[in-house]
Amino acid sequence: MATSPDPTRAFEDWQALSRRYWDAWNDATRKAFETSTQATQAEVMPWHEGLEQWSRMFSQSGSQSEIVERLLAGAKSYFSLLQSLAAKSSGADGSLDAKAWTDTLRESFNFPGADAALFDNPLARALREVAGKGAKSIEELSKGAEPWMREAQTLLGMPAFGYLREHQEHYQKFAQAVLDQQQQTNRYNALLARASARAFELFEDKLAERAEPGRQIESVRALYDLWVDAAEDAYAEIALSDEFREVYGALVNAQMRVRKHVQEEVERVATDLGMPTRTEIDSMGRRLHEVRRELKQRDELAAELAELRAEIEKLKGSRAAKSPAKATRSRKS
Amino acid sequence: MEPIRIDPARALDEALRAQSKLAAGMRTLREVEDVNYGATDKEAIYREDKVVVYRYKGQNKPTAKRPILICYALVNRPYMVDLQDDRSLVKNLLSLGEDVYLIDWGYPDGADRWLTLDDYINGYIRRCVDAVAKHAGVKKINLLGICQGGAFSLCFASLHQDKLQNLITMVTPVDFHTPDNMLSHWTRGMDVDLFVDTLGNVPADLMNWCYLTLKPVRLNQQKYIGMLDILDDKTELENFLRMEKWIFDSPDQAGEAFRQFIKDFYQGNKLVKGGLRIGEREVSLKNITIPVLNIFAEQDHLVPPSASRPLGEHIGTKDYTQLAFKGGHIGIYVSGRAQREVPPAIHQWLNERTR
Repeated sequence: MATSPDPTRAFEDWQALSRRYWDAWNDATRKAFETSTQATQAEVMPWHEGLEQWSRMFSQSGSQSEIVERLLAGAKSYFSLLQSLAAKSSGADGSLDAKAWTDTLRESFNFPGADAALFDNPLARALREVAGKGAKSIEELSKGAEPWMREAQTLLGMPAFGYLREHQEHYQKFAQAVLDQQQQTNRYNALLARASARAFELFEDKLAERAEPGRQIESVRALYDLWVDAAEDAYAEIALSDEFREVYGALVNAQMRVRKHVQEEVERVATDLGMPTRTEIDSMGRRLHEVRRELKQRDELAAELAELRAEIEKLKGSRAAKSPAKATRSRKS
Repeated sequence: MEPIRIDPARALDEALRAQSKLAAGMRTLREVEDVNYGATDKEAIYREDKVVVYRYKGQNKPTAKRPILICYALVNRPYMVDLQDDRSLVKNLLSLGEDVYLIDWGYPDGADRWLTLDDYINGYIRRCVDAVAKHAGVKKINLLGICQGGAFSLCFASLHQDKLQNLITMVTPVDFHTPDNMLSHWTRGMDVDLFVDTLGNVPADLMNWCYLTLKPVRLNQQKYIGMLDILDDKTELENFLRMEKWIFDSPDQAGEAFRQFIKDFYQGNKLVKGGLRIGEREVSLKNITIPVLNIFAEQDHLVPPSASRPLGEHIGTKDYTQLAFKGGHIGIYVSGRAQREVPPAIHQWLNERTR
């Protein structure tokens, strides 16, 4: 690292540069806001607040807002890193060892298992979205089922009997499914945490490789990119393991079982209220599809028959056309 | 020697540059309009349910004797092959004299829940191939299958080879059980029956998130930090947004077709192991004796080259050509290198086999 030999001087240099940084950022932000409709909000603010402001500006911009949110999520991590490095760089001698950089990154980055905000559980997040807009997530549905769950949990393991035997058994299975889902989620998160820990090991290895002359890292972006390489390598190691395959499958299956139980409960209520259920609609859809398939086959058969008939007619026509000629020839002979 | 040599002044410059890009982005993002895709004029020549076959219109009349029908995957929209004016496989093929058609599968909904692979391959694809042949006035056409559409095209060629002159597969998985195939690895512990019975059609958001988790940090974070670099460039930003739109503009998957595809291809690996049945007939790659061109991408994280390469070992044809492209699953259509290399390679290969 290029440092001044005088620590006091280095610190002063850093302070001066920092002032330049904030001034430039505020200036850039102010100018941009002055051209926008929200110019009155152009206040002096640190970078984080700047990004928040940025987010607010685009929050109503329809399809772009999601892009902006994704950009900002990344930018926040990146600026966090820049700021953390700045803080570290203002140390007594202005220099850093690899471990200090790793610690900085550990504090600054979001990585599977390390920060719930970004990678709490990708699959769970995906499954929250599966039913589309307006639909309840698994968690919400499970939450809504809490009264049943409390009741069911006390009954778990007990044999069901009597008039409400079927209901009781259903609640027991539902509760077991939710508990299993939680257990599988924990196993999945544990693997992500392991990937996270492994990422730091690989990062340190990769950093060590860069100690060779000519391979040193000279920009924050290069450092960040090296970190991403380490994180992806670590994740791939875990994600391609037999254990991950088993855990991933178990988690997906557990989540599907919970969802299925919820669907069954909804169907039960819908039936009681005399409303059509998904099973009925599926059943009709399937029959309709089979009928359409048969119709298509018949249409194609009919078209084939029509073609054959046309060919036969053509053949008949040509035979009829040939026959008089033959007859004429035979008369002549 | 210390591995990190970041000069504080340089770090601050980086920060300043990033901040100024962000500030510029406030302006640029407001200026860009909704991005459009599709560079080439086209006309619909066949429709059935949600499926449409388009014929692309080039500047000049095609010189090729036989048309190419592009069969895209079900999991993304097919406009990737004609994304924008300077990134278009279709446009480049047209300029070389090819006659290009494409199957657009549309967006399946609840009514398509029960569509099977038999419906897709022996039904839709067969009728689309017939429609193109009729429209072009030929008996046989060239089929170009992409990704999952490539796997479908292999099945189709095995079952209806009499309708095809040549087959081209691009980034097509053939052997689903290679050790670096993360998607396949993950699906093998899944109870697909429970999955489809519960979800019905498989939601696009779920599919997309699954793809993002193949490289979670790169695709969820690094990509957007990279976006900082282009925030002050309207054209580059529009290109980025167009690609972003394509990535997340995904159809839901018809439940029954998904069930069979995961079971027979991802879990059972039946395309190479045998025992794959589409409808009433068994698919065998050995049945395919027409010329085959197999193009794959060397840095493909969705369909690793190791999944595509084995086609040559399993296919019946003696006229098999393999082309490794230096790029990724998407780069093979949109990168500058792809524009220079892929369409001419396809054109030349077809030209050499013109009867």
